[in-house]
Parts: sequence; C-alpha cells; structure tokens
Amino acid sequence: MNPTSREPVCRTDPGCITCSDQGMVMRVAEIRGEDGFAACTDAAGALSEVQIDLVEPVNVGDSLLVHAGVALVHLGQAEAGS
Amino acid sequence: MKFVDEFRDADLGRVLAGQIVATVEPGRHYKVMEVCGGHTHTIYKYGVDDLLPANVELVHGPGCPVCVIPMGRVDDAIAVARRPEVIFTCFGDMLRVPGSGGTLLDAKAEGADVRMVYSPLDALRIAKQNPDSDIVFFAIGFETTAPSTALTLLRARAEGVANFLCFCNHVTIVPPLRALLESPDLRLDGFIGPGHVSTVVGARPFEFIPKDYGKPIVISGFEPLDLLQSVYMVLRQLAESRCEVENQYTRVVPYDGNPRALEALAEVFELRPHFEWRGLGFISQSGLKLAPAFQAFDAELRYPVPGIRVADPKACQCGEVLKGVIKPWECKVFGTACTPERPIGTCMVSSEGACAAYYNYGRFARERQVV
Repeated sequence: MNPTSREPVCRTDPGCITCSDQGMVMRVAEIRGEDGFAACTDAAGALSEVQIDLVEPVNVGDSLLVHAGVALVHLGQAEAGS
Repeated sequence: MKFVDEFRDADLGRVLAGQIVATVEPGRHYKVMEVCGGHTHTIYKYGVDDLLPANVELVHGPGCPVCVIPMGRVDDAIAVARRPEVIFTCFGDMLRVPGSGGTLLDAKAEGADVRMVYSPLDALRIAKQNPDSDIVFFAIGFETTAPSTALTLLRARAEGVANFLCFCNHVTIVPPLRALLESPDLRLDGFIGPGHVSTVVGARPFEFIPKDYGKPIVISGFEPLDLLQSVYMVLRQLAESRCEVENQYTRVVPYDGNPRALEALAEVFELRPHFEWRGLGFISQSGLKLAPAFQAFDAELRYPVPGIRVADPKACQCGEVLKGVIKPWECKVFGTACTPERPIGTCMVSSEGACAAYYNYGRFARERQVV
C-alpha cells in the first residue's frame, strides 16, 4: 500500500470485525430456524450469519448491533426504505 | 443508513462545536480521555479534534483490544500455533502483532496452520470440519467480544466439539480505568466512556469514577456527532460542578447492559488474579480465563506455553501512548521505523490503535499546520 495514502489499512465503514472490536449495525434478512442464527446484511448489503441468542426475539427487518458475529443489542424495527 | 447518516451532519456538528466553545472557561486546560479505540478512530477519521478549542485536549485511552496484548502473550500464541496438531485461528489484526520472534503471519509463512476468522463461530465451524486437528481460537477483546467467545464455548460444549480450544486473553474495562485514575502520570478532567462495552456491562460499572474519583464520564456512540456531543456533556458537567455517569448513547446502551450476555460471561469465564497489559503492567482481576467447567476447552491447560514476560522494544513507546502520556507523533519511531505496513508496536497495528488512526488520518492535518 502507498504509505502516503489516506485510506486506512483496514476499512471501518461502519465497522470491520477483522479489527476485532468494531460494532456494526446490521439488518435481519432471514431467521434461520431454531438454532439461534439469522442472516443479516450490513450497510454495503453483504450477507453474513449472526448469532441472535442474546437479543431474541427478532424479526426480519429489525436492526441489530453486531460484534464478532454476535448481536449484542436489538435496535428496533428498521424504518421502511432506510 | 439509519443510525449513521443523521450522526454525520456537518451543520449540527458546527452547532455543537459552538456550544463547546461557549462552555469552556478561557484559560483552563481540559484533558478528556476517550477510553475506546473505536472513538480514537472516529476522532482522527472525521477530524473531531479540529473542531475543539485549543484548550480542550482529547487523550487516547487503553481501549484498543489488540494494542493492550503484551508481547509475551503473542509468543505464547505462536508457540501453540506451531504445534503440528493445531489449526490456529484469530482475528485479522492479531496476525500482524509482533512477538519477540516475529508475528503469527511469520509463523504461517514458516508452515504453521494459522487462519484468519471473523468470529469464534468460524473457528468452531473449522473444528467440526477438521475432527483430526485441534482448533485453537485466540480470544482477545473486552466485554464486546467476550460474549461471542462465551456463546461459542457454550455451543461447543452442547454439541460435544472436543477439538475446539480457546487461548483466552479477554480483558475487562474497569480495572485499567481504575489503574489510570491511580496513575500519578496523568491528570484527567473526565472520560468519554466506551459505547459498545457498555451495551454488555451497562453504565453501572462506571459509577465508581464520579463516586471515588470525582470525575465525570459520558458513555458515547461512535459517530462524529456522538463524540462532539459527549465532549460537550463532559464539559457541561465540569462547568456546572457536577460529576456523574451520563449516557449519550441511549439509542444503543441500556443502563443495565445485556443481562443475557452477562449471564453467559459469568458461566464461561472467571477472573484471573493478574493479567499483564501492554504499557500498564500487571493489573489485578483484569483478565478472564475459562471457568473450571470449561477447562477441557482451555488451550493453556492442554499445551505448555512459554509464559515469559517480554519487554517491549526499547524504541517503542506504546506504553506511554496507551496511558495517554504522549501523543502518537511524539514517539521516536512513529511513521519512520514503525508504520501500519511494518508495525513495531501494537498501537500501529489495529485501525483502532491511536498510532495507526493518527498515521492514517490525523497526520495530514498536522502536516498542514506545520507547513
């Protein structure tokens, strides 16, 4: 990487869990059965599996604060179109 | 995006900056510590400190989980990773943190099976796919990542995944804050409290700061307006001769935290008598280890680890940076021998580290001023 670049080594918009401690706001896209997981999308639309045991019950469309693959806070029902 | 865009509004930022200017006493110098590395990152990325009056100084605290891991623990991790029966898993940034004889990436280049994961659940998946290997997860972080490790261990036990192991380096936030408050090196006027740690532990554990030390603390979100508002709230407490725990981040942080997460932490972990922090030394009851019921998953009990305390390289001043005694650019090797590409100290590794955040963003503003 160019050392004079303004880009950080690890992007964090709005979060990057490779840095291990960045929280991300994610939206529930699909509840995966009874095993405590949901498919969630981040701000860029990327889909990942999130453990939801600590914030259940959740519904499709809800916003969650996620750290290292685990939802820590239920932020409520997302507004339509937001 | 909801919860993001509205907290980056430039007009509101200017209003808050004006309120801050109107609140400070001319001639008084204010030192406010932002505890969390995520806050440090936001401050430099968005130039929050450029909006503050010259007599309001933000001091960067020890809340970057990568930065506080001492070299000896990295050496221990590498010793485990080099074992032929082990697949060693960790978050990306820990791969680049130097121990006394290189990094985990170096060990990988030399043949160790080291893999980056995004969550301990990924490591558990690898364990299920590789029943003939031992999968060790390098667990680091404060109370934000500890629940993830705890839930994974509970799941491993429930599913009988015996080849999943944890090298536990989780730490807790309150003991280092107390150590900083006891430190004669540092005179602080107030704190910006960690937002996401507080989603787990709540605001109550920080009550000792106003009660025992007479300092205000405001738990803050991570967007630029969150930080500006939190600085304003700290300064307003000082102006009104108040000191209490205030919560700026009410949209996310409940006062009592997440009871289910706390329950999982209490079941899986127990406090170590002592744990070494880079720059802060040994702090009593500040680290977590696996509780007796989870000893079968404890990599430190399964394998011999060197367990040797290793002093930081002489040129590296991460310790002083982590305590807020010096600024990143005051370190002798900042930006020369130590860069994000080839870090000497941990603070230059993680994007949350004060040195890396300053290197990536803040130095440009400073260079403009110097020119």
